Amino acid sequence: MKKLTELSGGQKAKIIAIKGDKRYLTRITAIGLNIGCVVEMLQNVKPTPLLVYGRDTMIALNREESEQIVVEVM
Amino acid sequence: MKERKIVLLGQPNSGKSTVFNNLTGARQHVGNWPGKTVEKKEGTFVYNDTTYTVADLPGSYSLSANSDEEIVTRDYIASGEAELVCVLADASQLERSLFMLADYAGIHTPTMLVLTMTDVAVQKGKTINISVLEEKLGIPVIAMNATERREYDKLHRSFEKALKSPRYLNADTLFAGYRQTELYNEALALTPKNGMKHYSVEWIAAKLMDGDKVVADMLADKEAVNAFMQKAKNGSLITSDCKFAWIEELLDGAVIRQKSTSEILTKFDRAAIDKKKGKWIAIGIVLAALCGSMLIASPFMGLGFALIPPLSSFVTTLISLVGGPIWLSDLINTSVCMSVGWVVAMVGFVFGVNLVFGYIEQVGYMARVSYVFDNVMNKLGLQGKSVMPLLMSFGCTMGGASGARVLDNWGQKLLTIALAWAVPCGAIFSVIPTLTTAFFGWGSVLVVIFLFALMFLHMFVTAKIFGRKLSPVENRAGLIMELPPYHKPRWKDIIRTTLNNVWGTFKKAFIVVFVIATVFWVISYSFHEGETSLLQKIGEAIEPVTKLFGLSWQSFMAFIASAISKEGVLGVFSVVFTGEGSIIDMATNVTSADAAITEIMAATISKPEGLALIVAVTFNVPCMMAVASTYNETHSLKWTLKIALYYIVSALILSGVTYHITNIFM
Repeated sequence: MKKLTELSGGQKAKIIAIKGDKRYLTRITAIGLNIGCVVEMLQNVKPTPLLVYGRDTMIALNREESEQIVVEVM
Repeated sequence: MKERKIVLLGQPNSGKSTVFNNLTGARQHVGNWPGKTVEKKEGTFVYNDTTYTVADLPGSYSLSANSDEEIVTRDYIASGEAELVCVLADASQLERSLFMLADYAGIHTPTMLVLTMTDVAVQKGKTINISVLEEKLGIPVIAMNATERREYDKLHRSFEKALKSPRYLNADTLFAGYRQTELYNEALALTPKNGMKHYSVEWIAAKLMDGDKVVADMLADKEAVNAFMQKAKNGSLITSDCKFAWIEELLDGAVIRQKSTSEILTKFDRAAIDKKKGKWIAIGIVLAALCGSMLIASPFMGLGFALIPPLSSFVTTLISLVGGPIWLSDLINTSVCMSVGWVVAMVGFVFGVNLVFGYIEQVGYMARVSYVFDNVMNKLGLQGKSVMPLLMSFGCTMGGASGARVLDNWGQKLLTIALAWAVPCGAIFSVIPTLTTAFFGWGSVLVVIFLFALMFLHMFVTAKIFGRKLSPVENRAGLIMELPPYHKPRWKDIIRTTLNNVWGTFKKAFIVVFVIATVFWVISYSFHEGETSLLQKIGEAIEPVTKLFGLSWQSFMAFIASAISKEGVLGVFSVVFTGEGSIIDMATNVTSADAAITEIMAATISKPEGLALIVAVTFNVPCMMAVASTYNETHSLKWTLKIALYYIVSALILSGVTYHITNIFM
């Protein structure tokens, strides 16, 4: 178990938990990242936002809130 | 003729704007929703003797209540005003893109589905079986490449058919999925039996699970609803699971993948998203865009300015023929001939900027800019892509203002424009060095550095002041954004859209320039030989006040003129010092200034006064064309005037402070 922010570039992982308030949960799931979704970390370089690939889509995520996404490395 | 109303609904990058622009062309009306900082776009087209009104709702990823945009969107749909809801989804990313349809499911209105970006889907090796989707969803489905003009006949026919025999979305399996969970059944118990407006019980219950406050407030049993909301903190994790499961089931057998996905990040993309390289690429592209726009603009500029003399002499001859007074021909020359010439000249630049930015956006690069500049622009309460219009403003504020069109949020667009005004434009760079050298010689380098420092301060303060209303902290949310795949641009499509925009700009800009020029003409005109104008009388009368800001009445005239155009500042000085020529002609830079004017200025104005003047001119309203394009982009006269007033006042304050501080040392 790791935070999404701890993945390094090229690593694939499955989302197993998402924390946060209701607003964050609706926003993150609406873009396609829900529990069970498999993502690949494309770029994790501070301070630019995270860049992941999930559901055939490149998605940029801010770091602060992404701390709340828990993943399991595959 | 019959009239029908259609609404487009889709996530960002679903091709919604492309479809809207291609459907309606120049027949668009853009305004704001009453009392909301949300844009309302409507347009019309005619097909088979029927006028179709199309509403383009703001793009959002779902129909939750997280922003005004989303609330406006779903309220409009549920009002039933539109007879057909046309949901759009990206065919190359259906799995994610159909989330909007899943979130919409349960709103009882006639529906059809349009899959766009079929070209990208083909590239990715995906084949979509439309009839499978049609059968499962129970609504008409079509697939098209939205940038391809000839595909629109198919869309028109589907609209006609869908309106003739309305069909409703069948999402029973989605609701069955919801029903598997206990929480959903509890939510169902709280909702009225027949739903509300066009919202079905299923939709309301699912939104309750998402913790939707707006929906909760509509329900009667407040206590029970509140208790449920407390309990259902993670409800949207459950509903999203159901939605994605439903989409997966839907796509099973409908989408066939032929080849495995090729490399996700292309070589260019690796550079474009790089922390350092990405920023330089973006800046380089804006600079190239600036040069490109100038190139496109130059023939228009030549034409515009060349138009003025023949137009003027025509008017003068005509009026003297019918025996009209000279002042009348002077007035028409200034308010009409000059305005037409000016607007033609400037609109060329707007055309260039829109063309280049339109290209960058359609290709899909703009999202990369947003990504690499997110951290920087966030500090000002803006999205990363605001950096593009702001950089553009170093060339021309008007270009910056019209480039702000790339921002999908009205408040952020307005805030970006408000900040763009503080960025010194090309015209300032042509005037300020002359002024600084006249007053300070080699010290002018320091003055320019000082001006840049002031610019950053100005932008920071302005972002704070205007940000409170335009980008409220409670509405700011961390970046969650898709970087769309690169898309082959269609020049025809881009040019057509740009031409439509530019025509709108031309009309509005002409009105604004006409009004300002007329007012300025009236107050600056000498009706009798040797008589001082009203403007000069006012200037002289209030000199004790303007002196507080370090501005003599002559400087104050130049300050006023700098709100009309920056190029005209020196010319206006020449008029007020030599008493020859017309202020309005000088202010609009139609006549060139007396060559010796800088020497005269340096001899008669003290250094602190000179510096105050430079600051006042630099941070004043950029020019009347900037005002016009701001009004055109924001469609809010109130906010345009607010920003203009703010700039006049803050420029005076800055010059006053500069004057008094430098007075101590010099």
